[in-house]
Amino acid sequence: MAINFKDGVILGADSRTTTGAYIANRVTDKLTQVHDTIWCCRSGSAADTQAVADIVSYHLNMYGVTNAEAPTTQVAASLFQELCYENKDALSAGIILAGWDARHGGQVFSIPLGGSLHKQPFAIGGSGSTYIYGYTDAHWREQMTEEEGIDFVRSALQEAIKWDGSSGGVIRLVVLTKAGAVRHLYLPDNGYTGPGVTN
Amino acid sequence: MTSLMGNHSGTIGYSFSEPTSANVKQHSFYPYTDNGGSTLGITGADFAILAGDTRSTSGYNINSRMVPKVFKIGGDDETGEGANIILSVVGFAADGNALKEKLDTMVRMYKYQHGKSMSVGACAQRLSTILYEKRFFPYYVHAILAGLDEEGVGALYSYDPVGSYEREQCRAAGAASSLIMPFLDNQVNSKNQYIPGSGEGHALVPKKAEPLDKETATKLVKDAFTSAVERHIEVGDGLQLVIVTREGIEEVFHALKQD
Amino acid sequence: MPGFDFTNYNRNAALHAKGVPLPKATSTGTTIVGCIYDKGVVIAADTRATSGPIVADKNCEKLHYIAPKIWCAGAGTAADTEFTTALISSNVELHSLSTGRDPRVITCMTMLKQHLFRYQGHIGAYLVVAGVDPTGTGLYTVHAHGSTDKLPYVTMGSGSLAAMSVFESTWQPDLDRQGAIDICAEAIKAGIFNDLGSGSNVDVCVIEKDQPTQLLRNYMKPNDRPQKERNYRFPRGTTAYLDQRVISKEDMKKYVTIETLSGDDKITTGDSMEVDT
Repeated sequence: MAINFKDGVILGADSRTTTGAYIANRVTDKLTQVHDTIWCCRSGSAADTQAVADIVSYHLNMYGVTNAEAPTTQVAASLFQELCYENKDALSAGIILAGWDARHGGQVFSIPLGGSLHKQPFAIGGSGSTYIYGYTDAHWREQMTEEEGIDFVRSALQEAIKWDGSSGGVIRLVVLTKAGAVRHLYLPDNGYTGPGVTN
Repeated sequence: MTSLMGNHSGTIGYSFSEPTSANVKQHSFYPYTDNGGSTLGITGADFAILAGDTRSTSGYNINSRMVPKVFKIGGDDETGEGANIILSVVGFAADGNALKEKLDTMVRMYKYQHGKSMSVGACAQRLSTILYEKRFFPYYVHAILAGLDEEGVGALYSYDPVGSYEREQCRAAGAASSLIMPFLDNQVNSKNQYIPGSGEGHALVPKKAEPLDKETATKLVKDAFTSAVERHIEVGDGLQLVIVTREGIEEVFHALKQD
Repeated sequence: MPGFDFTNYNRNAALHAKGVPLPKATSTGTTIVGCIYDKGVVIAADTRATSGPIVADKNCEKLHYIAPKIWCAGAGTAADTEFTTALISSNVELHSLSTGRDPRVITCMTMLKQHLFRYQGHIGAYLVVAGVDPTGTGLYTVHAHGSTDKLPYVTMGSGSLAAMSVFESTWQPDLDRQGAIDICAEAIKAGIFNDLGSGSNVDVCVIEKDQPTQLLRNYMKPNDRPQKERNYRFPRGTTAYLDQRVISKEDMKKYVTIETLSGDDKITTGDSMEVDT
């Protein structure tokens, strides 16, 4: 999931990757950087989403060096949408894109299965998301502070992990603001209360 | 075929392909499982051996490393004492067990009713009937029955899952039967062996099969299994050897490789 | 880039539709593992190759060379792991020559995932990639569909669950070299004994910075064949034959060059084949 808040955006995800009933990776990093302050949350096929994110990352970095200016979140969203839409028959990729750029501040985009693009105040996706539509709707507020935003995302993901068998492990967050990207980690050992900032 | 004329009932003439059955998911219940493993029997002038590995598998998993496949038939409930017939079953273990229980009951009932033990020949015929009773929902097993016949000679009968049977000198059954049977043909019945220098080219005299003694037969069984273990993934863990002689039934276990 | 030849695709598809089964590929229904330690990384594999329930090779090599300090353990279709690693090894060497730098594990992993993703899982290679490079130690898994994971300890193949149970119950951070070898060997043994697709011996490869890479072939042999009970030597002349033709050495020399070696010369140009006696 990803949300807008006062100073930027926050991305969050659990860390479980499964093949059938087997947990292939319990500490997966589903928050993928495609540029300095443009990140995405991947859900669906790991192979497909990694491939798409790698391609987008390549284009954004080329854009960055050829124009001597960081790409906007919209540019990244368009690239993701193009790939997901044109290859819809071969991909199973649900992507949430969130970024911060100097011109627009924080923005959140959702690109679900068919390859459509939706700009949203916040977005949720993946198998566990169905369990937290009610929770997020009830607790969502515009212009939250960073602390409130982190708490919102962490609590929502905690709820998704509780109810969804395909979600689990640790909670990873990335906060994107003018100051750059800051990673957070919350472990199940202490009820997802810490350690917090990891970089 | 799709028609553009729209003359099919229920279609309106668009050139969409007809729904294929390929996407229809069929749920079905399959009551059988292959539990792997192998068995083998050899007879001689005054003995009969039945052997089987003790591994039980499903897919790439091991259910247990110690599930015997050879049973005493018609003996005491707990110890099997007093029995003079043995049965090996390989294939679907649950069916094998049910079959063994049924035959064992039959043979003991016979003893109670007639006051004498059932002969191996009679037991062999009875087993065939039990198997054929379930002709359209068979016991998924390859059974081998052994004992001493009325002359005291080793007797061995092998069955298909629906009751067709035959008396033989030796027989391998189960997962590694295709590996073991040719070895038995060659070593027990001297197949493909000729007497050196007995003729020119194809006119060689075939080597005569000589009756085996108990010790040689036991060694052949062990070698057959240690070799099967090398090349078949479902065979291993332990070897159960059951030998019938005039003195009674002797049962021994040997270790096999566990990988 | 050389590619695959699809000439027979239509013929085989038609044959398959008529009910002819697909050819059975030798699969390494396998246990492979990897584990990083303070100064490097260890990978290990079992040595059984199967074709259905039959053991096709009792002592095959599943540890593949990519570069001097990057090695790969392969599970899945034997031919695919063999050719994919050989191809990437070749490209990694050319890349290293053209850049003038030592190859990196992440480069190799990226080349593998892009190659495998292109073939959408039809190349059945499941790999553990490990090595040390100027950036440090690397350990990745690469699945046939092209997804990758980066973890401190990994397992793959049909025995991966058995092997992972060893890591999840006994792994600890800050392992030393021997500690990493021990846990990897123990994980492979769990696969060998509890997974029917895995068996025979344990192969280990240790890669460490400023140290030559060590391939410990048959590091453990927990499954030696017991002595046979009988001797199966046949007397000469036991087998019947239809025809016999003797070709003299002089006649042979018309077609090939013949070099006579004395009986005690030991000529070994590689691994000699193991034969049961």
